[in-house]
Amino acid sequence: MADVEPIEDLEDLYENAPCGYLSLRPDGTIAKSNATLSAWIGFTPEQLVGSRFLDLLNVAGRIFYETHFAPLLRMQGSFNEVALDLVTASGARFPVLANALVRRDQEGKLLFIRITLFNAAERRQYERGLVAAKDAAQSTLNEEREVSQLREQFIAVLGHDLRNPLASILGVAEMLRRKPQTEQTMTYLGLLVGAAHRMSSLIDNVLDFARGRLGAGLDLSMEADVQLAAMLLQVVEELRAGTDREIDAEISIAHTVRCDPVRLGQLTSNLLGNALTHGAADTPVRLRAFTDDGVLEISVTNGGKQIPAAALERLFQPFFRREVRRSQQGLGLGLSISSEIAKAHGGTLTVQSSEQETRFTFRMPLSP
Amino acid sequence: MSVIERNNVHVRGTGSTAMMFAHGFGCDQNMWRFVAPSFERDYRVVLFDHVGAGGSDLSAYRPDKYASLSGYADDVVEIGRELRLKDAVFVGHSVSAMIGALASLKAPGMFESLVMVGPSPRYIDDGDYVGGFSEAQIEELLESLADNHMGWSAAMAPAIMGNPDRPELGQELTNSFCRTDPDIAKAFARVTFKSDNRRDLEKITARTLVLQCSDDIIAGRQVGEYVHAHVAGSRLVFLGATGHCPNLSAPDEVISAIRTFA
Repeated sequence: MADVEPIEDLEDLYENAPCGYLSLRPDGTIAKSNATLSAWIGFTPEQLVGSRFLDLLNVAGRIFYETHFAPLLRMQGSFNEVALDLVTASGARFPVLANALVRRDQEGKLLFIRITLFNAAERRQYERGLVAAKDAAQSTLNEEREVSQLREQFIAVLGHDLRNPLASILGVAEMLRRKPQTEQTMTYLGLLVGAAHRMSSLIDNVLDFARGRLGAGLDLSMEADVQLAAMLLQVVEELRAGTDREIDAEISIAHTVRCDPVRLGQLTSNLLGNALTHGAADTPVRLRAFTDDGVLEISVTNGGKQIPAAALERLFQPFFRREVRRSQQGLGLGLSISSEIAKAHGGTLTVQSSEQETRFTFRMPLSP
Repeated sequence: MSVIERNNVHVRGTGSTAMMFAHGFGCDQNMWRFVAPSFERDYRVVLFDHVGAGGSDLSAYRPDKYASLSGYADDVVEIGRELRLKDAVFVGHSVSAMIGALASLKAPGMFESLVMVGPSPRYIDDGDYVGGFSEAQIEELLESLADNHMGWSAAMAPAIMGNPDRPELGQELTNSFCRTDPDIAKAFARVTFKSDNRRDLEKITARTLVLQCSDDIIAGRQVGEYVHAHVAGSRLVFLGATGHCPNLSAPDEVISAIRTFA
């Protein structure tokens, strides 16, 4: 004999469903509830009928229900996944997720509000854990941001305050160089001036970086008809003063250029400084600047070891430093800021590195 | 950003007198959808969202400004000035009943009449005064607000969208009704439920109607009676409607009470 297929008993399905059932009258009092709910919260169906649904909630839940979910029910006829805490007969909290649907008659008159309740104790715990973790992460992030902003402000102020004494040092050194000196003193003065210029450009880079981080961005003061050749030669002289290495300069700029001369000077100085630090000591550093076919190009080349591909990718990021002797280490800001200066001029700064030499090339379109 | 955009102000209807509707904590101007249209024939009906609610400009939210109901009342006054309201009717639900009262004190002549629907000058009990809640219960409310934010913003939207008879509603609701920034919602709850404006009641000079629901757990009968007793010359009308939102559950009763008064 074959087994008889069991028939689902709808009454039993209602009473002992794996969720709580509630039907509310339009005034919010309970008309019917199931056995599962009674088992959860310890009130008999007789106790529940006639009492208000709101009375099953904690006070916070009542307020939230009245200000948010009761209105939603009126406006859209349903709500889903509402988190509520039921208060059991013993006074304990029983977290649930509630869905509700309004049942109307054919004339549209409200008959019942039907609510299904799902046990959500673990889900609630998990969600609260997430909220707490998010709050904690947010507050740590806020603190970090505050500290980092303060630090950058500090850098900006420090950089600014260092400029004045440095200008005095440079001024006095230049003045002494114009007076008759022994050859040895001239050498010392040259080193002094070179070091001061190097320090000055480091400060400029730091200030630009701090300004960028503080949201001010890189500011350009564009000038029409800049005599770029003279300006570049001056930068070369400044760097020559601080080194015994050879710098070859080949400058052929026929047009006047519309640019920020101070910024292009900063860029060139950064590239030359970089080449002197990282290039092979026995090969001259070469500066080449020319205009051709609506483009200005400035390139700086040094001999020496090839830059590995992995390092090339990160070269223009702030604080990236190649491995050099500690005494030669800069801040790793020069190339990053030079790249920003190039972009601000509508141009590019690129690098090619082979086994023989490394070349940085700045190109910008000349405005007609 | 104009005041009109900031507060998502909508003006409809004709009439020499304006009637401004203000929503309370938890919802936006949709709370008045079953009531406001009835007045469009005889009044210039003004609807708006408080900053932080509905379609308001969230970026206009300033924690210090909105740390008291006075900041919200300033917005009401600004809207009123922009629309050149004079001797208008202010209809405020829940916490906005008090916001309207404060606005009427800040700008004499702007509102001739006040309709306070379920008002409470203070929700927390204080000595002999029964507001209906203890300090601890309100703290628990503020703590538990985060429990429902996700369901509120994400899960509600699809359900709201399917509204066949008024398709424009879907757009309006998805974009506004469910959109509450959790931090702003929490701050507004704090401002609302920790407010104490009992002393302002006796300063009110506008004609005032208090609409008191039956069985309102947020602003109980004794609170409505307190407001009535402390606003000189006010009228108190008890509604048969239960709960805190008669504007949704019994709009006809609310409409008729406002008509009789205004």
